[in-house]
Amino acid sequence: MAAETNKDAIFAAMREAIESYDSDAAAETAKRAVDSGIDLLEAVEKGFAGPIRELGEAFDRMEIFLPQLMLGSDALKAGMAVLEEAITAGGGKIQSKGVVVVGTVEGDIHDIGKTVVAALLQANGYTVHDLGVEIPASRFIEAAESRKADIIAMSALLSTTMLYQRDVIELLTNKALRDKYFTLVGGAPVTQAWADEIGADGYARGAYEAVQLLDGKKEAWAE
Amino acid sequence: MNFKEIAKRGETGPLTEASDFLMKRVSANVLKLEKKYQISWDGKTLINLDDEMADRCWQAGRELLLSSGIFSMNSKRIIELDAEEIEEALRFAPAELAMGQGKDAVRAYHRQVEDARKPFVFSGPFNADASEEHFVKLNEAFAQERLIDSLLFPGYLKKLDGQMIRPTSGLASRAAMLYGQWSREAVRRAGRPGMPITGHAVMALNEIACTNEQWGLRSTDPRAMVLISELQVDDVTMTRLAYYLAYGCPIYMAFTPLIGGYGGGPAGTAIVAVASFMAAVVLGGEVVHIGPQHIKFKQQTNQHSLFLASLANQAVARNSRIIATTSHTTSGRPGSEQYAREFSALALSAVTSGSNVTGPRPAEPLGFNNVSPLMARLFAEVSHAAAGMKRGEAAAIVAKLYQTYKDKIDLEQAPKGQAFEELYDLQTLRPTAEHQALYDRLKEELTGLGVPL
Repeated sequence: MAAETNKDAIFAAMREAIESYDSDAAAETAKRAVDSGIDLLEAVEKGFAGPIRELGEAFDRMEIFLPQLMLGSDALKAGMAVLEEAITAGGGKIQSKGVVVVGTVEGDIHDIGKTVVAALLQANGYTVHDLGVEIPASRFIEAAESRKADIIAMSALLSTTMLYQRDVIELLTNKALRDKYFTLVGGAPVTQAWADEIGADGYARGAYEAVQLLDGKKEAWAE
Repeated sequence: MNFKEIAKRGETGPLTEASDFLMKRVSANVLKLEKKYQISWDGKTLINLDDEMADRCWQAGRELLLSSGIFSMNSKRIIELDAEEIEEALRFAPAELAMGQGKDAVRAYHRQVEDARKPFVFSGPFNADASEEHFVKLNEAFAQERLIDSLLFPGYLKKLDGQMIRPTSGLASRAAMLYGQWSREAVRRAGRPGMPITGHAVMALNEIACTNEQWGLRSTDPRAMVLISELQVDDVTMTRLAYYLAYGCPIYMAFTPLIGGYGGGPAGTAIVAVASFMAAVVLGGEVVHIGPQHIKFKQQTNQHSLFLASLANQAVARNSRIIATTSHTTSGRPGSEQYAREFSALALSAVTSGSNVTGPRPAEPLGFNNVSPLMARLFAEVSHAAAGMKRGEAAAIVAKLYQTYKDKIDLEQAPKGQAFEELYDLQTLRPTAEHQALYDRLKEELTGLGVPL
């Protein structure tokens, strides 16, 4: 009973760390979970995954905004780093929905859209590698290969730079890697028609739509 | 402070990561300033009526710019400013600006809240994808609308000779030259050869190639540059700025404060907007354009954007001599009733709040040439009718208009509209009977709602 109470107290502290956007507290409570010997996979789900999902939903309802979402994401990263190390050391593995490399395409310095997508995907259980902005086609592919990604997500905020989304897909084809990755495109000038024209697997108008699309099309990208 | 000094600070200021600038300098300070200056949104107001809050928002915006500076995205250095430098830039900001040539020359000016003077109207294709085939005709159709003072962003030549254009390629340079040539040809055909063309050819540095006194964009044509959200500037903008300042063009500086982004909600983002107005002036902007963007709706006629634009514009109108203009980006598309209801709502808000007007355009145009010069006429008429109107009167009409489209703000749900070639007779450049009937119907509806058209 005491162990159960202790476990609940740790989960509550982990939740509180995410809800108060506190990276230090998230790492500290994760360490408490490791030291206490409780089931760490349960700690991931009850301590971190639940509250970060709720944060994503609150963002979609505009009850919180980008800074809070990003701070929550940072707190999650700090806590998960501690838990992941302990779980891996014990021979276990954290379940991730899928691995995503995301970035803004070459010649495009717009950051916000891609950052929101990365934060919301992470909040919804994906492992996300944010490559940043002005990412050339070859770097998207190198990163996808080295990170063993399932999904390549490309943002373009300018009519002029959306052309480079086409180049990533064309280069994947030329390297005989096209079928290995689910390609997702988005950004202000991007439309379903453009996605169809360049042969992208998915188009999302916004960040939440990106999560819904990937969740709904798991059979298309999961091994 | 001149361009040389700004450029120098962009190379020598404190080095930092973009995320640190945005989170620590912008977001953290906005949170403090929102509380300190009691800037808030009550969850329902569409047009701000609180003059004291507008004045507090001005103070908060100035404090934000002072504490954040402007981030140079490529060098990753902060262009820091002191209070005196900001004051000096504001003191010397032009309250009136001449543009265009000969008998077609016009002047834009700073407006006051509830100003009886008519707003300056920037209108045109507004960077919609324009086909090579119809580029001149659709611009001519805009230029023949006499209420439009400056032809705005004559369309993006996305394809040339069937080929999509890569921004730094030779083809982009060729497209920029044709953009200049064809825009000039369009205003000539409309009988307004000196009409100012506000240019933004979207082709990175290659857009400079459209500049030519005989056949292209002239030193009397405003040239547009856009700051990146929030309070950021990149090398392309700085390079354009260096060239256009030296060439003598009126500088049209735009920014798009993002509601739901680093400024938080509508109140916090209004503070960012005011800081951005000032940043634009410090950088050399002479007409400053606010595009009140939204992270979720991706358009500018939602309730958050309406409120933000009204509050920030009133702060600027009451406390500075900045020539402000507000962009109008809608969910509904040209050819639909919703398009006009949305731009009318924002125009009533912007004009009574002391702004000039820019637009309209659909947030998500469907295909090429998704524009209507006839709707631009209605936009100008509504904007002119709003001059002299009280904010309270405007707010009552805006509330009614907002009710008509609030459930169709989602871009997927919004009406699809039609292309220019479906809305106009391409031989006569007159609207089709059906499009004319839509205009007549909307004008009657707006008059019925109390817009003195």
